[in-house]
Amino acid sequence: MITKRNTDALLAFFVAAVIAITAVFLLFPVIVTAFIAFDAREYIGPFPPTALSPKWFGRLFHDPYLWSGFKTSVLLAIAATILAAAIGALGALGISRMSPQWRDLVTTTFLSPLVLPGVIVGFALLMFFSAFIPLPVLPKLIAGHLVITIPYTIRMTLIGLTGIKETLREAALNLGANERQAFFTITLPLAKNGIAAGAIFAFAFSMDDVATSLFLSDFNTYTFPVALISLMRSKFDLTIAAAAVVLMALTVVLLFVLDRVLGLERVIGQDLYRA
Amino acid sequence: MRAVGSRILLLLPVVAVFVLFLALPMLTVLNESFRTFEPGRIGSVAGAPLTTNNYTELIHQAYFRYFAQTYLLALCASLLAIIFAFPISYYIARLAPPWMRKASVSAIIGLMFLSALVRVYSIQLTFGSAGILSPIMSAVGVNTNGRTYIYVVIVAGLLHYAIPMSILILIGAIQNLNPRLTEAAQSLGASALTSHLTITIPLCIRGLVSAFLVSMTLGISAFVIPWILGRGRVLFISNLVYSRFSEVANYPSGAAISIVMMVLSILLIYVMSRLATSLDRT
Repeated sequence: MITKRNTDALLAFFVAAVIAITAVFLLFPVIVTAFIAFDAREYIGPFPPTALSPKWFGRLFHDPYLWSGFKTSVLLAIAATILAAAIGALGALGISRMSPQWRDLVTTTFLSPLVLPGVIVGFALLMFFSAFIPLPVLPKLIAGHLVITIPYTIRMTLIGLTGIKETLREAALNLGANERQAFFTITLPLAKNGIAAGAIFAFAFSMDDVATSLFLSDFNTYTFPVALISLMRSKFDLTIAAAAVVLMALTVVLLFVLDRVLGLERVIGQDLYRA
Repeated sequence: MRAVGSRILLLLPVVAVFVLFLALPMLTVLNESFRTFEPGRIGSVAGAPLTTNNYTELIHQAYFRYFAQTYLLALCASLLAIIFAFPISYYIARLAPPWMRKASVSAIIGLMFLSALVRVYSIQLTFGSAGILSPIMSAVGVNTNGRTYIYVVIVAGLLHYAIPMSILILIGAIQNLNPRLTEAAQSLGASALTSHLTITIPLCIRGLVSAFLVSMTLGISAFVIPWILGRGRVLFISNLVYSRFSEVANYPSGAAISIVMMVLSILLIYVMSRLATSLDRT
């Protein structure tokens, strides 16, 4: 018999099951990879590994192909992050001072690369550069990464700015500060958490990009993900698992910094009704 | 007057980047997509005659399959993502104790930041034909080399990103919902299930649509996931564009595919946001 109590119990069971299945689905593969990177065997055998050893990490660090990609990626991510954070923060400040009807339109325009497939950005830049501005690989990669990371820095800065009352800046101006002083002593310090969060997003997505970088890389200058994916396509070696563990460690570091800078709870917003 | 000047100055760098590295390159793509391609060359020749062939040849069945595959698999992943994400978001937003909330939010943001390569490699290692679950799969009679299984694995790859993303979006939507409404329905005699079906879900429709839309946009532009998990047998439109560039150097065709892909994405976003507005009852 279907009673209210039965359906409620069924619903609770269903929700618990969904949570359990999803948690296993999301975490299990990642845990498997982290474990198997320490596998002492030469081949991919049954799980769990029979003996552990850090040898794959040794091979990873002595692989000149991957190491070169890693250096390029870190350099590229740092350059792209600094530029994207500065350009995005200035843009967001400009947007925040606009009248409401313009603000939405301009914000949508600058966030549009978020829905643009990375392949198209890469392909378009490749054709544009080869036709009009011949540049070395690294500046081309920086240009591509700026396009894909600036939307994040703009958005995070805007989120950071929403909490700041315009009256604070006006008070400073009324008390005799000029525009520049008000900017450096009031607006910038208050916006800095949002800008920093944007920079973290930019770094993470720059380190992760494959589709755009693949078009702009060549045989001498290529990013870490581009090197990894070609390795992944040619052989199924556990060096890649070791590289994956390094990238996971990077994720944890970024997560920790983001929590420090902005607070992870703030990323999801405030609950209006929670006691 | 001064304020307008500073505003333009602030926006100048970002406008410069967008015009130079996005708008002009996209115009190059548009131009290239109407050029005649001569096999054996790299891209179109300067001043090649104009043509619409690059678009008309896309109607051919072989191309249609790439589009159908991409959209269907992305659709499956997006629907599954919101179905799985919704109860979890509700739990995190409303029921979880603070420590659990903090832990799950950290885990979810961590999963979002996780490199696409780690994701793909992990899924390959777990569900792939040589993966650690393959003995179990063959024991229960699943053919890990079949096309259907490849589809399932690609959807799993898409879900690995789409679920955490949808959870984050839906937590935001559920937090803005007044819990008194469901409480009122339940004290008036509705079961938990009915009250959620008739109150929570309709009022969260905007969040559900935007979670669906984000998953869908990421799904149809997926590149690495089908490239590795599709094992060369299942490819998405992104992979097709890349092969136009890397294998046959037919840039005009790649450009036409890119333009079609973009137009379809814009259409999708437009239709979905109209749908959200018409369904929205708040």
